This record gives sequence, C-alpha cells and structure tokens, in this order.
Amino acid sequence: MLSEEPEAADLLATAREVLLNELLPALPPDKAFAARMVANAMAIAARDAAQDAWEPETLARMAALAGDPRAFAAAIRAGRFDPGTPDHGAAAALLDDLTRARCVVSAPRALGKG
Amino acid sequence: MDEARRARLTDWLRAASGDPTLVIEKMALLSGGAIQQNWAVDVSDGRAWVLRTDNAATLAVSHGRAQEFALLRAAFAAGVTVPEPLFLCEDAAVTGAPFFLMRRVAGTAAAHRVVKSETLGGGREACVRALGRELARIHTIRPPRVDLAFLGEPPVDACRAFVADQRAALDRQRTPRPVLEWGLRHLERTAPPPVPVTLCHNDFRTGNIMLDEQGVTAVLDWEFSLWGDPHADLGWLCAKCWRFGSDAQEAGGIGPRAALYEGYGEVDDARVRWWELGAHIRWASIAVDQAERHISGVERNLELALTGHMVPGLEWEILRMVEARDAE
Repeated sequence: MLSEEPEAADLLATAREVLLNELLPALPPDKAFAARMVANAMAIAARDAAQDAWEPETLARMAALAGDPRAFAAAIRAGRFDPGTPDHGAAAALLDDLTRARCVVSAPRALGKG
Repeated sequence: MDEARRARLTDWLRAASGDPTLVIEKMALLSGGAIQQNWAVDVSDGRAWVLRTDNAATLAVSHGRAQEFALLRAAFAAGVTVPEPLFLCEDAAVTGAPFFLMRRVAGTAAAHRVVKSETLGGGREACVRALGRELARIHTIRPPRVDLAFLGEPPVDACRAFVADQRAALDRQRTPRPVLEWGLRHLERTAPPPVPVTLCHNDFRTGNIMLDEQGVTAVLDWEFSLWGDPHADLGWLCAKCWRFGSDAQEAGGIGPRAALYEGYGEVDDARVRWWELGAHIRWASIAVDQAERHISGVERNLELALTGHMVPGLEWEILRMVEARDAE
C-alpha cells in the first residue's frame, strides 16, 4: 500500500522481456545460455513475488497430521501414512497441495502450465 | 595452464609414453563438467588426447581420477565403447592435481541436440539398441575385482542399499524432504528381491554418451560407478527426468524403450520401473546438494542456484509415479 509501484513481479517480468527481446539477439552465441539462465531466474523470482502466502495453512495441516516438516518426514519414513492407514489420504493430499504450490513458482511446466 | 606446468607435463608425458621427442602442440580447455576439467591436448605425430583433471571444488560422492582411470580400463577391456585410457598421473606436483590422459573421440553428447536429432547414433532405434548393448557389456563386469577394490563391498541387496543410501543423503541435508521420503517409503514397501550385482555406470544417460552419425563413440563420466542392480542403469536412462523434453522416446528421449531392451538382452521391466522412481528421487537429492553449494557460499553460481528449482517439478513427478504404482 505504501511502497511504490510497479512492484517486484512487474519489474522482473518487464526486465525479462528486454533481456529476451533486445539483449539476447545481440549477444554472441556463447553467451546465450547464460542469458537464458538469467531470464529463467527472473521468471522464477517474478512468480515467487506474485504468489499468495500458502505456507501457514499448509504448516497447520501438517501440524495436525504429524508436527513440523521434520516430524512429518520422519513419520512418512516410519510408515505412518502407508496405503491402508487412516491418514494416508490426508497425507497424500497435503503432499500434493504443497508440491503444487512449490511448482507454481519453480516449475509451472510440471503442472502442465507455462 | 601456465608455461611451467606445461613444461612439467611435457616431461612427464615423455617418460609415460616412452617418446623422448614428444611435444605438446596445443592445449585447449573443453567444456567440462562442474566437477572436472577436460583439456584437449594435441601431441606431436598427430596424437589427439584428452587430459582429465579435477576442479577445485569436488563432490564428495564422485571418484577421483585414479579410480576413474581404473574404471575406464575395466570398461575398455570389457568391450564398452569408451575413450582408450592412456596414462595416469597421481602426483599433484606436475600440474597441481592428479590427471589422466585418454584418446580423444569425436562426436556430440549435448543432450538437447541429441534428443532432437533423427540421425545421430545411426537413427533413434539403432541408437538405443546400441545403448542397450553398451549397458550389457558394462554389466559383464562383476565382483570381485582387485582393480576395482575401491568400489567397496558389493551390496547384498542393491535395492535396499539404495533406499538406505538415499535416506542417509537426506539426513545430511539442511531441510526435511517429505516428498522424497514418500517416494523412498514406497520403494521400500515395493522393493523387488535381490539379484546378483554387477558394475553399474550410475550416470548412464543422454548427455553423458557421445554419438556421431554412425553410432555411439564414447560412454563418458564414470565417476559415480558402483556395484549394484544392473536394472538401475536402465532405469536411470529411461527416467522421464532424463528425456530432456522428448518424453515420447522413453529411452533417454532418444528412442523407444523396446529397442533399448532388445539391444540389452534379458530385462525385468518391473525392476526397471522401480529404479525409474528411484532415479527421480536420486536426481532430486543431487539437485538439492548442488543448490546447497550455491546457498552455502561454497560456490556462488547461477546454474547451481537454478538446479535447486528443479526439485519441486521432480517431486511432482514422484508423487504421480507413487500414486499410479499404488493404484496398480
């Protein structure tokens, strides 16, 4: 509300367009890979800046099932959420939801987007 | 490489090759991995060699140059298409790090080019059939082997050893990884019974195999080799995460799975599928470690940083694979 616009996601997206459309064609071929990596990093950072806060709700669901992420991981390893156990479906749904949220920033293509 | 090092290298090569007139005509740094440096070395009388040596920062899980040289010799003797290993120098005083020389082989390994080409390796089907034959030759190397003693005791049960090793790797990491645990627990629940172990290349994938228009010219990058279940190599090659976007070609993004299996010989497909899930978990864990080198400041590098952002996509694939396998 008090910070000046355009915000981070907009700046990154706009700067990325300049990089890809104006700078990349002018670069020597051996610098194209680095330029594409920079564009990729900017796209990830822009999606990160635009994403709504999802962690508190996810952590609350995790706490209800097993505790913090370390306890959740340990419980999975111990077989507490194997198929056929009462919380198997809840654990699978939680893993799906948190991975989907992570992919929205890091790997939208894995979800069939982007 | 400065003049003094190059002079010491020349002296060393003269002694190693038994050619007192040997001259290094040209040395150029080839595109090496994050771990090693490869130098193209042109030597008098038209000899084209590659010098392979270590980068400053080396992953703890990879073999040193002496071990890689021994693996290359074993593979060469088994008829695997590898660059012929020539000379090993373990004395760091010559160039600053241990190194070895091998014959230089022509071809391309660049994964994104390989998966797009209809002709490299003799065409898609012929290429993956040849890759199957290469793997079968690698898997003729079996323990015990005095020359490969550095590989340690072969595991009694390679599948369970894999799960244990991957869990130990997760325990060394900074952040818990519930999805990787989910995949490992599934692998533990569904582990097939043990089979006799063989040498596994353990990084046999598109990008590490050099091709020309006729066929395979070199199987590269032996530094992760171990005694294991031979199906692990087939699974690593077929894993979706190593198809470089060419998903319909199930063998490395290059060609059909059936042709790979034909080239290989007898294949237990269910075991290969088990290892394909394992491949996604292992690659995700390696990606975490690579990103950690950047995050921790050991090696600030954009490519390493971006590798970390491959983890969520791999996790999504792991969840889908486990879901499909549990529904079977």
